Amino acid sequence: MKRWRQWKRWLVLPVCICLLLACASCGKESGEADAVLGSGGTVLRIVSGSENAELEPILEEFANREHIQLEMTYLGSLDIMRLLGEEEIPYDAVWPASSLWLDVGDINHRVKQAEPISVTPVVFGIRQSLAEELGFVGREVSVSDLLGVIRSGKLRFCMTSATQSNSGASAYIGFLYALLGGPDMITEEDLQSETLREQMRSLLSGVERSSGSSEWLKEMFLQGDHDAMVNYECLILAANRELENRGEETLYCVYPYDGLSLADSPLGFLDSGNDKKEEAFRKLQDYLLSAETQDAIQRTGRRSPYTGVSEENRGVFRADWGFQPDRVLSPIRMPAADVLFDCLNLYQTEFKKPAINVYCLDYSGSMSGNGNRQLVDAMEQVLIQENAARNFLQASEEEINILIPFSDVIMGVYIAQGNGQDLEDLFPLVRDTAVGGGTNMYAAAMEGLRQLERYDLREYSPAIILLTDGMSSGAVQPFEQAYRESGLDVPVFSIMFGDADATQLEELAQLTNARVFDGRENLTEAFRSVKGYN
Amino acid sequence: MKTKLIGLGLLAAVIVAAALYAVISQNQAVTEINGYVGGEKIGLLDDDEVQDLLRSRYHLVIDYTKAGSIEMIGADLEGRDFLFPSNQTALELYEQAHGSPMRSEIVFNTPIVLYTRQEVAQAMQEIGLVREQDGVQYVDVEKLAGLIEDGVSWAEIGLPQLYGNVAVSTTDPSKSNSGNMFAGLLANALAGGVAEEEDLPDLLPRLKDVFGKLGYMESSSADLFDQFLKTGMGAKPLIAGYESQLLEFAVEEPETWEQLSSDVVMLYPVPTVWSSHVFIALDEAGSAGIDALLDEDVQRLAWEKHGFRTGVYGTPSDEAHFGVPGVALDLTQVSPMPGAGVMEEIIAALE
Repeated sequence: MKRWRQWKRWLVLPVCICLLLACASCGKESGEADAVLGSGGTVLRIVSGSENAELEPILEEFANREHIQLEMTYLGSLDIMRLLGEEEIPYDAVWPASSLWLDVGDINHRVKQAEPISVTPVVFGIRQSLAEELGFVGREVSVSDLLGVIRSGKLRFCMTSATQSNSGASAYIGFLYALLGGPDMITEEDLQSETLREQMRSLLSGVERSSGSSEWLKEMFLQGDHDAMVNYECLILAANRELENRGEETLYCVYPYDGLSLADSPLGFLDSGNDKKEEAFRKLQDYLLSAETQDAIQRTGRRSPYTGVSEENRGVFRADWGFQPDRVLSPIRMPAADVLFDCLNLYQTEFKKPAINVYCLDYSGSMSGNGNRQLVDAMEQVLIQENAARNFLQASEEEINILIPFSDVIMGVYIAQGNGQDLEDLFPLVRDTAVGGGTNMYAAAMEGLRQLERYDLREYSPAIILLTDGMSSGAVQPFEQAYRESGLDVPVFSIMFGDADATQLEELAQLTNARVFDGRENLTEAFRSVKGYN
Repeated sequence: MKTKLIGLGLLAAVIVAAALYAVISQNQAVTEINGYVGGEKIGLLDDDEVQDLLRSRYHLVIDYTKAGSIEMIGADLEGRDFLFPSNQTALELYEQAHGSPMRSEIVFNTPIVLYTRQEVAQAMQEIGLVREQDGVQYVDVEKLAGLIEDGVSWAEIGLPQLYGNVAVSTTDPSKSNSGNMFAGLLANALAGGVAEEEDLPDLLPRLKDVFGKLGYMESSSADLFDQFLKTGMGAKPLIAGYESQLLEFAVEEPETWEQLSSDVVMLYPVPTVWSSHVFIALDEAGSAGIDALLDEDVQRLAWEKHGFRTGVYGTPSDEAHFGVPGVALDLTQVSPMPGAGVMEEIIAALE
């Protein structure tokens, strides 16, 4: 219980960070939406799990018809939960993947009229031929069966971060149950077990790539070359449609019977006393729950509340892809809140593959003033562990952090192992390095690659993170060549500061299957997103 | 012609004046009271017909903030006219903390029931856990508690499609009334009578074990019931709730109910306990709420549209309009909840 109270405090603390950041990015509109649908006098700002990006055409139809503008911002469900604990929530509605996170996060009872919109289980999608080879086709599969092939190295997979996204958290809790031998309930004592630690680490070492929310994981999966992913049934189906269109091998859907969980996708209203918004919200909810819209939602591979899958839509859930529309979905029980958060903390600090973060820090002349200030503030949030822990960004004992300050030259390479004083000692260096000279971020990124080559990257989740305004001399080609020659699957993320220009950064993200974030808008979100990927 | 026009004009003026008078007098006379209300009564308080009756007959508007029955006793009561929890334990706790309230009265009742699906009810019948009498299904709570304590799996009672062990999903007993009352009911069953102080040393570890196996518990009865209906048999095979929840649902969502009615089953625990919705008036204005809610027509609507039994443990005469099979009109096997002191210790142990 005590830990739970601590957690409540954590929910509140990020507010301070946000306020600080609001000052750091004075004059900037915060929280720009990921998608704006329709236009109109009434605006509904919805913060949603990224899996709902697939429903945009359905939402857009509503927005156009009702002249209500829908602004969608996508975040992992656990990040939405955290948001609910903050004083100011810059949204009108929340739409996480599961009611659990609303129930846990809404400590101030601000969410009203929450209604599940669709139901989908968290499953494994495994390349068809591999699923056959592993003997998973046409029979009941347990989590232990999956663990067996993961630990023997026959199955490597992608999964969202358990501390950010519902699908990752659900799968991870399922793994815990299986490794503990299927107890009635996970207890605090169970989590202390050394065997569990060893087994879970070996299991999570099978994770090839991760992300902060489920749709992003699917997108990354489709861009990369991977064998399997843990994701929602509906997103496995969406991926298969794309794979089939491309003429590539599709995924076979495996429902682990002793580790299944359900996402019920609740859409709830955040009351700010604005009647117009409330009316618009009700209209949207009525529209989504209407028989006609539910029919359209089913065709995206989601099940309807109450009734599941209708006779006409049965064919959407193709049996040859392993889908079972008639399956009784019998999920595992989630632990009580305090144990649940213990589980998540352990994931972040002990169980998941240690990260190697290569931070390339831009100290060129164009960063002077605001840009440099933002960069220093940002690094303070990840290097000083007390700050980092508030957002589940804390380093693990085996994590490796490498700093490469650069201008038109590499100004040095600084390495800290673990989460102790070495790491925090890097901060004064970040703060005191002076700005000046030209920019060559490609050289810095290449130095990052060279540093990473010294490690066995099967044991780590590596990422290069550029903190820069993106205006670089030099060209992408030499980097591209070095990247291809290295054969490394390392994402190069960028967090933009100052008077940033995203063009060159997008090019790097495209090349390395990564993303660009705007650190001037919501830095915590940017860092959480980047860390979700490793 | 002219006189006719003047006459019409006069008539119009009178109508307008009368309408204005009605609006103004109503606005002047209406008193708004506000307080904390358990979530399961919100459907009733939001009911237009009920609101119209309260306004026209009692010049009263009841404004509310949703809160758990136990939670509201400890809440800040500044500026509140009433509390409307769902059990008498809350009243006892209030009295312990603040002394006697201005006035209090039980205005509705509803028994605690279990909800399940046809297949599960069938399996429970086959092992003698559930028996049917006059179309009503009764569940033996003591036996059920035994199965849960022994860790019997669903598969072992003939339901291999369900993963895990037999369990009753409830709301968090430390936050929400239905979970709290189910804990009381279970305590009675395990104690073999109304649970007393001296039963606690034996009871508390057993209750902790039963509830500990549930893991995460929802904080609202309405949400739990909603998930039971929406996510299907696999997700919530067996839950604890109020009889009124299904009756209200059947009236409010007749089309959906038609699709579900052959599958959803209501089980009456033997013995069950009453959830007594007691209205605690904190001041004179709040006291008017009691009179208004005890109005004959409000009481009638409470039963017909929202499934709350009225009068003191009343036996309603008619349930056919709900279209819900297996409603037990006459409940004889009801036991009192354990006393507030015992419940406090139970809640503390489960927290």
